[in-house]
Amino acid sequence: MIYYNIYVQIYKNERGRAKRLRPLYPGTDMKRMLRKFRFYFAMCSAKACAAGLKLLGRRASYLPGLVAVTLCKDFIGYLQKPETLICVTGTNGKTTTSNLLNTVFSHIGQTVTNNSYGSNVQAGVANALLLNSTFSGKHKNKVAVLEVDERSSPHIFPFMAPDYLLCNNIMRDSMKRNAHTEFISFIISSALPAGTKVILNADDLICAGLAPRCEDRTYFGVAAERPAGDPPAHVRDMVYCPKCGAPLKPEYIRFRHIGRYTCTACDLKSPEPDFCVTDINRGTHTFTVTAEDGDHTLRLINDNITNIYNLCGAVAVLRRCGVSWDEIRGALAEGELVQTRYEEVTAGKLHITRILAKGQNPVAVSGVLSYTVTCPGDKKCLLLIIDDKEDNIHNSESTCWLYDVDYSPLRDPSVDCIIFAGPRCKDQVLRAAMSGIDLSKVLTTDTVKNSAMLVDTEKYQDIYLLFENYWLDDALAEEKLLIERGEQGK
Amino acid sequence: MTIEFLFPEVCNLFGDVQNVEYLHQCAPSATVIRTALTETPYFVSETPDVLYMGSMSEHTQRRVIEKLLPLKERLGELIDNGTVILLTGNAGEVLMKHISYVTEEIETDALGLLDLTVKTDWFARYNGKVLGTFENMKMVGFRSQFSMVYGDNTRSYFIKTERGIGINKESSLEGVRKNNLFVTALLGPILPNNPPFTEYLLSLAGTPAPAAFRPQAMAAYEQRLKEFGDSSTEF
Repeated sequence: MIYYNIYVQIYKNERGRAKRLRPLYPGTDMKRMLRKFRFYFAMCSAKACAAGLKLLGRRASYLPGLVAVTLCKDFIGYLQKPETLICVTGTNGKTTTSNLLNTVFSHIGQTVTNNSYGSNVQAGVANALLLNSTFSGKHKNKVAVLEVDERSSPHIFPFMAPDYLLCNNIMRDSMKRNAHTEFISFIISSALPAGTKVILNADDLICAGLAPRCEDRTYFGVAAERPAGDPPAHVRDMVYCPKCGAPLKPEYIRFRHIGRYTCTACDLKSPEPDFCVTDINRGTHTFTVTAEDGDHTLRLINDNITNIYNLCGAVAVLRRCGVSWDEIRGALAEGELVQTRYEEVTAGKLHITRILAKGQNPVAVSGVLSYTVTCPGDKKCLLLIIDDKEDNIHNSESTCWLYDVDYSPLRDPSVDCIIFAGPRCKDQVLRAAMSGIDLSKVLTTDTVKNSAMLVDTEKYQDIYLLFENYWLDDALAEEKLLIERGEQGK
Repeated sequence: MTIEFLFPEVCNLFGDVQNVEYLHQCAPSATVIRTALTETPYFVSETPDVLYMGSMSEHTQRRVIEKLLPLKERLGELIDNGTVILLTGNAGEVLMKHISYVTEEIETDALGLLDLTVKTDWFARYNGKVLGTFENMKMVGFRSQFSMVYGDNTRSYFIKTERGIGINKESSLEGVRKNNLFVTALLGPILPNNPPFTEYLLSLAGTPAPAAFRPQAMAAYEQRLKEFGDSSTEF
């Protein structure tokens, strides 16, 4: 069955033809020669920058790449590709999945080029590649795993075609950058070369329809713990068939538009996953992936449903790259989620869990709220630091995204105290009130610093600290404060 | 009071849905009719007290135009009769004359009820804020858009901006007001963010009531007014 990309479909319907983006910097042969010179100049400058940063004892995680792409906009196109280039994109789970892939490849003895310490935009990708290349642009490692920001894909994919592209999902994200899912789907699809092997989420019909001209397609999904009853009352980004426009009939919906569908009018339906999670055992912390060669039980690093999708996507990529099940099993047995994203600490009688909740990303925050209420503790205290940090410095953050977040999990009886910390705490209170949350449970502070002091550690032992990415250092400081209070019994 | 929410399953980007939820919380006895794109709108045979439509994708916008074109005369009648209509984000563009989708190379005639044209470019996203005045009320809001509106709204604007742009980057007059039709590029929670305007709208719709959670809404509104009025705040 052919799965049509929604944009190609739009064009076919309304324009009678498909369209893709052109590379950003086409040119004549003469211009190309000049650019070749520019590339070497950019490479030398970037390498010098990296050396300088090393001398200063600083990590060269972004700046050399920025120098390179500033001096030579198609810098990436001049670099030699590693033998296997894997790119990971999508709205949520890019970092987690990229790190999992790095872990497994490292475990089997591969030195992997990656941008896990850098940025996932064009400069970050260029940075990772150039640091692992010679002056002439020859790549040193056999494998590269690069996390690619969806918006940056037109600046990367046309210049260096990935061998494999994993897309975890296409969801609502920052409205300022990502607008809506149709736009993001168009951006990725238009930029991706036809020869790339795509590994897509079968349970996300938007993601599953990406890049229809890429014929080598692998799907992954989760069949275990199939939701029963009425679908959640979330806003969905896929209601009508991308092929014919008729209403889609959900077989079931997990959250947002993630689920299984058939079209009520044409033959479109969710693709069958080639790698499918058919069992989740939270007691033994294992999950089973069913593939064409049978069932394979692996260690469940984290039982959040979004991370189960991430795990399955990573497994699908690894298998497509020829990594054996035993090698995957061995690596996952030792792997952990990156501590900056998730950490559990026990301090005295306090059990503190710190979870990343990406700000400006309503789906990610909704998912974390839903997950948190299922976590241990029948009297939880939640400290939410989810405002955007940068957008509140000489600025006033757009709070539209808060109105796309599903706050209803916070009505759960196990949530006894909610602390909104940050400059938008007044907006958070209004949003909480509109969501039917008992405001007597809510505390606020417009500064993040010392917000952990609002936690009544005598009353609450299960404390969940949900933080926005850019507040990491501040969240760690609040976590430390909670640990100290726990250890001192205060 | 009857509130008709047009096409909530697709016109729901950027938190716009919560405008209807908030109105309902202000007037709990109101009936909310949610009309899907595949259904016949309530306004065809009845007159709602409030008609609302929110932000949508460009593809959806073309489907909405296709859906509403046969109902153009009835919509014009509702506008002329003073029905309260609030269209946020790019929803109001469907009432304009013509939309040019530059990236997709598509030209579409819209309903033509407003003498304005639209240019939409996927590679020219504009993000901004608006601080302005409507009938002595301070208005605050956010915008994130691919489109700009062109034409003369000097006699029919909705908000006179103090900071931020109007219908396009050269304009300081935002949106359109025609009788009780309010068209604005401001998106997301325009009603929770502007409790005085919400109360004004409720009165227009014949159901005067205080804004829901008024103390909390006013606290957030006043903080935003202060921040937007601060010259160091980026727009």
